[in-house]
Amino acid sequence: MATGQQSSDGLMKWGLVAPALLLLIGLNIFPLAYNIRLSFTKATLTQAPADHEAVGGRNYARIFKADESNRYAAALRTTARFVLMAVSIELLLGYLLALSLKPRFPGKSVVLLVFLIPMMLSPAVMALFWNLIYDEEFGVLNQALRFVGFASVPGWKTDTAVKFYTILMIDVWMWTPFMMLISMAALNAIPDYIYEAAEIDRARRWTVFRRITLPMSAPLLILAALLRTTDALKQFDYVMAITGPNDPATETLSTLMYQVMFRNFKVGLGSAYAIVVLVIVIAVATLFIRYLDRLREQEHAL
Amino acid sequence: MKHYVGTSLILALAVVFTGCGKKESAPRSERDPAPVEASVQGQADDDATVLTIWWAQWDPAVGLQELGDDYEKKTGIKVEVRQIPWGKYQEQVFLEFGNKQTSFDIVVGDSQWLGKGATEGLYVDLTQWLPTVTDIDKIHPQARKYLCEYPAGSGKFFAAPCETDAIGFAYRKDWFEAEKEREAFKAKYDRELAVPETWDEFVQVAEFFTRPDEQRYGCVLLTGRSYDALVMGFQQVMWSFGGSWGDADTHQVDGHVNSSASAEALDFFKSLLEYTPQGGGNIDYDRILESYKDTQSAAMLMTYFAFFPAIEGSDVGANSGYFAMPSKDGKRGVSLGGQGFSISAKTSPQQQAVAKKFIAWFLERETQEKWITKPGGFTAHTDVLASEAFRSATRYNAAFADSLDDMQDFWNVPQYNELLSIAMSHLGAALDDDTVTAKQALDRIAEEHTEVLQDAGLL
Repeated sequence: MATGQQSSDGLMKWGLVAPALLLLIGLNIFPLAYNIRLSFTKATLTQAPADHEAVGGRNYARIFKADESNRYAAALRTTARFVLMAVSIELLLGYLLALSLKPRFPGKSVVLLVFLIPMMLSPAVMALFWNLIYDEEFGVLNQALRFVGFASVPGWKTDTAVKFYTILMIDVWMWTPFMMLISMAALNAIPDYIYEAAEIDRARRWTVFRRITLPMSAPLLILAALLRTTDALKQFDYVMAITGPNDPATETLSTLMYQVMFRNFKVGLGSAYAIVVLVIVIAVATLFIRYLDRLREQEHAL
Repeated sequence: MKHYVGTSLILALAVVFTGCGKKESAPRSERDPAPVEASVQGQADDDATVLTIWWAQWDPAVGLQELGDDYEKKTGIKVEVRQIPWGKYQEQVFLEFGNKQTSFDIVVGDSQWLGKGATEGLYVDLTQWLPTVTDIDKIHPQARKYLCEYPAGSGKFFAAPCETDAIGFAYRKDWFEAEKEREAFKAKYDRELAVPETWDEFVQVAEFFTRPDEQRYGCVLLTGRSYDALVMGFQQVMWSFGGSWGDADTHQVDGHVNSSASAEALDFFKSLLEYTPQGGGNIDYDRILESYKDTQSAAMLMTYFAFFPAIEGSDVGANSGYFAMPSKDGKRGVSLGGQGFSISAKTSPQQQAVAKKFIAWFLERETQEKWITKPGGFTAHTDVLASEAFRSATRYNAAFADSLDDMQDFWNVPQYNELLSIAMSHLGAALDDDTVTAKQALDRIAEEHTEVLQDAGLL
């Protein structure tokens, strides 16, 4: 039989959870449910909800249509390529930088600070700065290349073969420090006694790296890769600043969604795009988390 | 304990409902929040003291505010011109139209917005009213057709002309007039160095001034991708070569936009990039002005006349001249610019009546004569356009007045943005990627435009 005390405790629990729950429902679950509803309609930006015309799965059929004119498929490919390349390069460079900065040396804190500056700046503002740097005639980059003797300089914003890498380079510049920071935390978390034991066993440096450093820093690296992947999937600022939203060579899912929702006013189709992106993000995050769990299980098993 | 639980719940509910509440429009303390009606029967409410106009952030909006101040002195009705940065303008206007009531009474909207505004009940129908306050025949026919009517040429008005604009050229008069240059040009092309009247002459002049070693180039053209610059720049060449976006009456696209004339025009437009600074294949409205007035590297600059006051006020202003778009075999095409006054159907009938009174005052000849003295204040009033006062008011007004007869516009159907996005994407690919031919790019545009127009029930 429930006592007055138990009933009061129950109310207390609900009382404490309720604010978070209501915020979750109001700010996450309701918008998501509404977005799903919109994705099955032909809603436009200026229509009242009562006027939204239901179109069944037509928006989704359009997304998965095997057609040369399917911009969503092209943007998905560009985004996937961008995420894969950006995260891989940033992870590799960040980890290498962290390894090289691990030993103590004079001025280490200054060097670290300089390395970390890019990630502390606003991506939108940096995108505008890089847009000036990349200016093909008067930008600093091409002026410098001409100064050192290059007769032909790249068309950073107009050469189809180069544009994608122009944007990729900004992302690498901006987010490699983040990977470096996480990598340094991962390396510093490895207890010294493990390295001392390896030294007693006269393990070679490569063996130490392969058997100790890499596996023990892997969980945090995976976490960093997960964070960067979900972030890179949303790439918007650099593309908008450098090439604009309608460039087939650089159009990402986010810029396409912006174009469809806010310029073409097609809220229904844009919502369907967003749902597919959400499914992709959940799938990628699940893969990462499962891999992370497996690493933890292996660690416990040792 | 229960007291705490109750307090927590109340707080949480307060947070959620204040956070999730529907976005309210700007305070309208001086407005009557009466229900919205698309048609206006009432007269101006004596209590209405503020008229809100939304426009993009640029010089003409400053001029309109100055006229609004004059109007306030005359009528006691305060006119507030809210300037929104160009990059956000369209988005903010249509997000605002998504509300039950708009914060603005008048929007000075792009010609392409007319279809959406007219067919979705966002703009008040001015068909009956406009001819009662102004002589329709005194509105330049091209401005009337593209800036005021939907469908174009139908006689149904959803806007009144505000700022009528067109694309033209600024050029370095000092370079053109230098004796050494004139002699060299004559020796090379066997004719006098002069402002180009045809596209063939334009190529010669552009080629002549292209000297990368001296950081001098023949021209800078509208090719930017952030909104519509590339389409606005290219379509003028397309029209003068005999191409078009499609049949305006039937909305038939195939055979028009991908005709051999259109393809020839795109090849020609691409060939002009040889005479631009590197990166000239992607230059937007702001950067193109810098190229001309700050780095002073281009002999000829293509942009809207409304931007020319910025040149006049710059270091190269005194050395600049202006000319209208060149032609091809006697045919000339000029991209229409500017915007018209449209009254929001989502504001009260009283405010709509106040808006009408202001527009009627703006269209009076006396006001138009003041309007043309403002930077970028171009008129559509035929008598004012033809007047010596207008033609000689600035060094670019004569070229502007000469451009109006050849003005044309991109699609202004409600799906215009989708059509624009497709055109931008494929034209951009044709300029940037040598493996994409003009014909291939235009075929893709024809195919995708057809799909959009069919989907919209227009084809």
